[in-house]
Amino acid sequence: MSRRSQAAQAKGGADAGGTTPASGQAGSPLEQGHGELPPNVLAEGLEAVRRAPAGVLVVFGASGDLTHRKLLPALEQLSRRRLLPAAFAIVGVARTEMSDDGFRDLMASSVPDAGPGWAEIIKNSYYIAGDYSHPDTFTALQKKLSELDESLGTEGNRTYYLATVPDVFGEVALALGKVGLNNASGGGTARLVIEKPFGRDRATARELDATLHQVFDEDQIYRIDHYLGKETVQNVLALRFANAIFEPLWNRNYIDHVQVTVAETVGVEKRGNFYEKAGALRDIVQNHVMQVLSLTLMEPPGSVDAEGIRGEKVKALRSVVVPAASEVPNIAVRGQYDSGWVEGNAVPGYRQEEGVSPDSQTETYVALRLSVDNWRWAGVPIYVRTGKRLPKRVTEVALQFKAVPHLAFPKEAALGLNPNALVMRIQPDEGVTLRFGAKVPGQAFVVRDVLMDFSYGAAFLEEPPDAYERLLLDAMAGDPTLFIRSDEVDTAWGIVQPLLDVWGEGSAPLAGYAAGTWGPRAADALLERDGRKWRLP
Amino acid sequence: MSPSAGPADRADRRGGRPVGEAGAQPGARWPGGEDPSSADRPEAPAGEKAERAGGQHQPQVVKSWSGQRTSLGEVLAALPSLRRQAAGREAGTRTAVMTIVIVSNGGEEAKAALESVRSIGAHHPCRAVLLQPDPDATPAIDASACLWRAEPRSGAGHPVFFEELAIRVGGQAASHLASIVGPFVLADLPVVIWFPTSLPDPADPLLRVASALVVDTRAASGQGDLGHAYRALLDLASSRPVVDLSWVRLQPWRELLAGLFEPEHNRRFLEGARLAAVKGKPGPRFILGGWLMAQLDLRARELQLADARHVEISLSASFDGEEGIFEVKRDEGTRAVWARATFSGGLSHTQALPLPDSSLTNALAGAVSYLRPDRTWERALSAAATLA
Repeated sequence: MSRRSQAAQAKGGADAGGTTPASGQAGSPLEQGHGELPPNVLAEGLEAVRRAPAGVLVVFGASGDLTHRKLLPALEQLSRRRLLPAAFAIVGVARTEMSDDGFRDLMASSVPDAGPGWAEIIKNSYYIAGDYSHPDTFTALQKKLSELDESLGTEGNRTYYLATVPDVFGEVALALGKVGLNNASGGGTARLVIEKPFGRDRATARELDATLHQVFDEDQIYRIDHYLGKETVQNVLALRFANAIFEPLWNRNYIDHVQVTVAETVGVEKRGNFYEKAGALRDIVQNHVMQVLSLTLMEPPGSVDAEGIRGEKVKALRSVVVPAASEVPNIAVRGQYDSGWVEGNAVPGYRQEEGVSPDSQTETYVALRLSVDNWRWAGVPIYVRTGKRLPKRVTEVALQFKAVPHLAFPKEAALGLNPNALVMRIQPDEGVTLRFGAKVPGQAFVVRDVLMDFSYGAAFLEEPPDAYERLLLDAMAGDPTLFIRSDEVDTAWGIVQPLLDVWGEGSAPLAGYAAGTWGPRAADALLERDGRKWRLP
Repeated sequence: MSPSAGPADRADRRGGRPVGEAGAQPGARWPGGEDPSSADRPEAPAGEKAERAGGQHQPQVVKSWSGQRTSLGEVLAALPSLRRQAAGREAGTRTAVMTIVIVSNGGEEAKAALESVRSIGAHHPCRAVLLQPDPDATPAIDASACLWRAEPRSGAGHPVFFEELAIRVGGQAASHLASIVGPFVLADLPVVIWFPTSLPDPADPLLRVASALVVDTRAASGQGDLGHAYRALLDLASSRPVVDLSWVRLQPWRELLAGLFEPEHNRRFLEGARLAAVKGKPGPRFILGGWLMAQLDLRARELQLADARHVEISLSASFDGEEGIFEVKRDEGTRAVWARATFSGGLSHTQALPLPDSSLTNALAGAVSYLRPDRTWERALSAAATLA
């Protein structure tokens, strides 16, 4: 036995072997116990740092806006934080004619003040120009990847990032399959990363999944919802399952209702063309709202790992009652913003925006009343609202508790008192707020609401990683926890599908609201019918 | 006496700046260096420093109090009073994660230490207690207390408030610091004791109140028998976490070197490591040398240590007839750290990083985020004790 392996054993061989920074890499040879590879003893004590294993990131749509604006800057940040492997390359693929050097220039220009590590990554970057419908594009890619395995030691690990329009997701996946790039080669891994929208409705989402599943197994597919990459969304899990005092209250016995708010101050900006076909229901509710909601409603998982969490999330979504078509007018309100004032600026109405039809029927606001059929939540209404051009940018989940069973004070002493609320503030002011009653100092006994706020700080001086950075690293390292599983997508579509159907017929009212207000009057009426009102976030 | 009649309140009613009674004087010299109460005005020095720390908003003084020849009771009364006076400015609720006690002889190091604690205040809000023991001075306690306000992040509203105390202890009490610190410790939270430039004496009774210790083996490397001091530290680490700021600062170098061995091809060379060379100042080179000895089971003669301004590691290894050189170094004249693996077979891997910011603040932030035992550091220090 060598001195090194003795050393590893003396220091607790299992501990040393299993906890290299790359150990998040599911199915890697390191974890499959091939045995011959010695543990990286120098990585001991650095376990908190999760690095991507050696490999190639293949970016489809490499000449596009998403790559330029989000992906490349996120990769540069990863390299700055020492989270990319030594053997790492980027291969860009797109229709635009461009040389390797042209792509390298693009990479450099995407990150103007890049650190020195970026130049090294640029050196190892290549570009393949070609049509996604042409097999040559993929044979060229296959050749390039084999070369890199040989020359750089990327070990057959590939992550395919589809930064393309969603229409070609299926086409690219099938083409990768045709040349065998869907399979892990030589002990490596092959993963496919796609970003929403996953279909336009339940049927197209199923079609997309069926296509992808022809060539990629579900555990190779990483569906991104960038909300899940946010530190505070993950903090919902910490708040619920790392604390014993909240969970006993987290149910129908104590909670009167739940309000989820995803408010934006921006309009559609330059995305008018896209938004016309999407609307708030597809753009926000089907994905972001359902994700936040599932984390709020889910049962405690047996373990906080990918299957534990995703399994419970799906169970929670499956308990959400799918509204009957006849019920839709009673539980849902759609709205569209008119002109108004937001943050001190006069802004145009939705129909005056660039790329928007003057008689557009697309909703920019949705309010919903959902119910959940399970022991924990039966009878607790879940109110959801999302909209553009609202007064304030805020995402939060508020648990509104029941009122005290008997108020011992004279009514006039408790005029300023409301039932308790626990608010999980997801953005921008990330933290937790508890509202409770306290005595107003003085001779008289008067009680009033006070807020106790907690703000999450970062663990280090540096800002918490950008959601993209986190998700990109997780995908390369093979941790699917923060990605959406096929059945989650399907269930979420199932919940909104009746609304899509009814609203698609065009007869449902589309209420107007002035930009800079909290939505149409009908949304207030939705809660007033239940004797409740929207909170002011 | 009602709690609202604390010394600071009384001072307020006199219309002057809050001061302690019984010999307390306005403007008593702030043990940390400058008098932070001068920062009460909007254009204060503390505010001017704001832009220096990478665009982060530096905390601002909200209220302060100071007293000479005072008593702990007065200091204790001043603390809630500071908060009460500032209550209109949302200081009512406390967010805190620990009490941090700094033991220092004062001067520049105390000032730098307090500044670091303030800078991490928004992310690691804590009560800071600076202790300046002076057994040879007249028996007396001079103290100042200051309430700071930190903005958590640009654009996100809720400020965090935290107190900073500086206590100069003269006379015999200087040898009984635990009794001074006790009343100021925040309930239920860890107490971190930080020795900025010295290594603690294991017999120091103050250590009894510590949940964790923060030390800096680099700053302390000029003092006495290092081997002995390292062994004493290891002794302390057996009963509570000890975090070494020097080790925290060296993390990028360790990560880069370890990263070179992540690819399967390169990993094989770990078993064939023959020679390691480490350059740097005494503290860092001993501890990195110790780390390589411990992790790679190298013998002392397989390790070359040399003095240099910048840290540099080089490792020669072979596997299956192929030679590999693994290096992590800072190129002279650049602000980058390079990690390179080159093999006689032709393969090579290079990574480069911007030079990590080694400021005290960043090291402290790293340390307090990691308040748990670090067996790798302990092994490294144990081996370093044989090198120093």
